[in-house]
Amino acid sequence: MIQHILRRTLRSLKENFSLNLVATGVIGATVLLAGVYLSALQTLDRVVESWDRDAHVSAYFQPEIEVELRFATKDQITARQEVATVSYVSEEDAAAYLSERVEEVGPILEELGPEVLPASLEITLSQGHATPAEIQAFVDSIDGPPFEHVDYGQDWVQRFHTFLTLLRGLGLVLGVLISLAAIFLVGNTMHLVAYARRAELETMKLVGATWGFTALPFALEGCVQGLIGGGMGLLGVYALHQVLVARLEDALALALAGAELSFLGAGWAVLLLGASVLLGVCGCLWSVTRFWRKAP
Amino acid sequence: MIRLYHIDKRYGDHQALKDVNLHVAKGEFVYVTGPSGAGKSTLLRMLYGALKPTGGKLLVGGVDASKLPQKRLPFLRRNIGVVFQDFKLIPNRSVADNVGLALEVLGTPRAEIDRRARAVLNVVGLAGKEERMPQDLSGGEQQRVAVARAIVNDPAVLLADEPTGNLDGAMAIEVMEILMSINLRGTTVLVATHDAGLMKRFPQRTLRFEAGRLVSGQ
Ligand SMILES: Nc1ncnc2c1ncn2[C@@H]1O[C@H](COP(=O)(O)OP(=O)(O)OP(=O)(O)O)[C@@H](O)[C@H]1O
Ligand SMILES: [Mg+2]
Repeated sequence: MIQHILRRTLRSLKENFSLNLVATGVIGATVLLAGVYLSALQTLDRVVESWDRDAHVSAYFQPEIEVELRFATKDQITARQEVATVSYVSEEDAAAYLSERVEEVGPILEELGPEVLPASLEITLSQGHATPAEIQAFVDSIDGPPFEHVDYGQDWVQRFHTFLTLLRGLGLVLGVLISLAAIFLVGNTMHLVAYARRAELETMKLVGATWGFTALPFALEGCVQGLIGGGMGLLGVYALHQVLVARLEDALALALAGAELSFLGAGWAVLLLGASVLLGVCGCLWSVTRFWRKAP
Repeated sequence: MIRLYHIDKRYGDHQALKDVNLHVAKGEFVYVTGPSGAGKSTLLRMLYGALKPTGGKLLVGGVDASKLPQKRLPFLRRNIGVVFQDFKLIPNRSVADNVGLALEVLGTPRAEIDRRARAVLNVVGLAGKEERMPQDLSGGEQQRVAVARAIVNDPAVLLADEPTGNLDGAMAIEVMEILMSINLRGTTVLVATHDAGLMKRFPQRTLRFEAGRLVSGQ
């Protein structure tokens, strides 16, 4: 029985070579699109993560605060679990830092005296506590005396998060649409395969073939399409990744803030391959079942 | 083997069979005749489960074919060989493959399929044409391939719809002799035909239909 089914599968793959090629191509293109989208999203995620990792808060002391209190405050904040590092920057450190960066201000600062810049605590939050909401909560919790004000690059991090959420949502909608289109296309391509063999399907049913015996070769055909198409799609994503890494990494290094352009992980690759096999199998079963129902 | 009780069949508002009651015993050879449109093919289609009656009850080998769920249908058909009016041969498949299909669906091993297909093609006089494609055969040869496929798995019932329709006199007689010999081996045979000459030459019980009614032969 298995022998017959395998023979039928091979024969159909051979006889409907071009149609199978089309179905495989459709699956491949779908996987390529999904793979590129997922890779891009992953890369952006890593970028954001790398920014979040350095979620950086500057808390400026009021000028009249005693040095002992400043250090006590520093110890208090260091003890908090969401805080990774805290360093104290005195008025002098700040002035030195600034004049080092911007030469022209050196003389002006000397004129005005070092106290013109406030002392501050430079706080880095640990990675697990670096969502915009958490940063905001942290800032709120320490805002007020002894600090003059507390500062972080909240605005654009927040905006980028919103953008990413939007991108994810958009991707999901697009993904669903593309998958539906792919199912439809594969289904219709397989419909042509089944159509080309409708006489055979009908005759098989008339001489007592079961649905399973008739449909299994088609399911296997779809499985082959899914494996080859999905594999090609993943190869395409990988090739694209290699090309982009070679050509663009330098240009992107700045924007990516050190995060690597990421290729889909093994998990996603397997998931996409599984999805394309499912797509092939479902497309094939769907079309053969349509003809099976109609046959007398 | 075959029992019909008050069978009705309508297509829309056209009544193709009206209150047909019938009993065919195991091993019988029966003609189904009547003018074109009388309902002969309709009766045969109901026997192999391609049509459901709109009323009445229909038993084939003890199985109620009128209430058979789709899932059970293949198992009914494996006991019924059918020679279709339009042959239903698969193009682009060799004669041997076409005949072997009826065994393939049972899961018969390849070697045995080949052996039995060859043997049965020999019986219908097509030895040496196993690897031909159906479209490269004459109408009469195609008809005999259809007969070969119907009998290759030794069915309990053989239904033949106009099996001599495309054959000249000598060939028609040959096919009839094949059907007779199948019948002699114990298969119940129903042959739908118009051919009065043939029925005269091979006299058998004859069911005559007119406008959907069984008018003689019960
Ligand atoms: N699918 C269908 N839909 C509607 N009417 C049908 C259908 N099949 C058959 N009929 C009608 O039912 C009647 C019986 O048809 P059937 O095919 O059984 O005749 P028949 O006795 O086999 O004729 P023939 O000798 O020409 O083969 C005919 O009038 C035919 O037009
Ligand atoms: Mg007919």
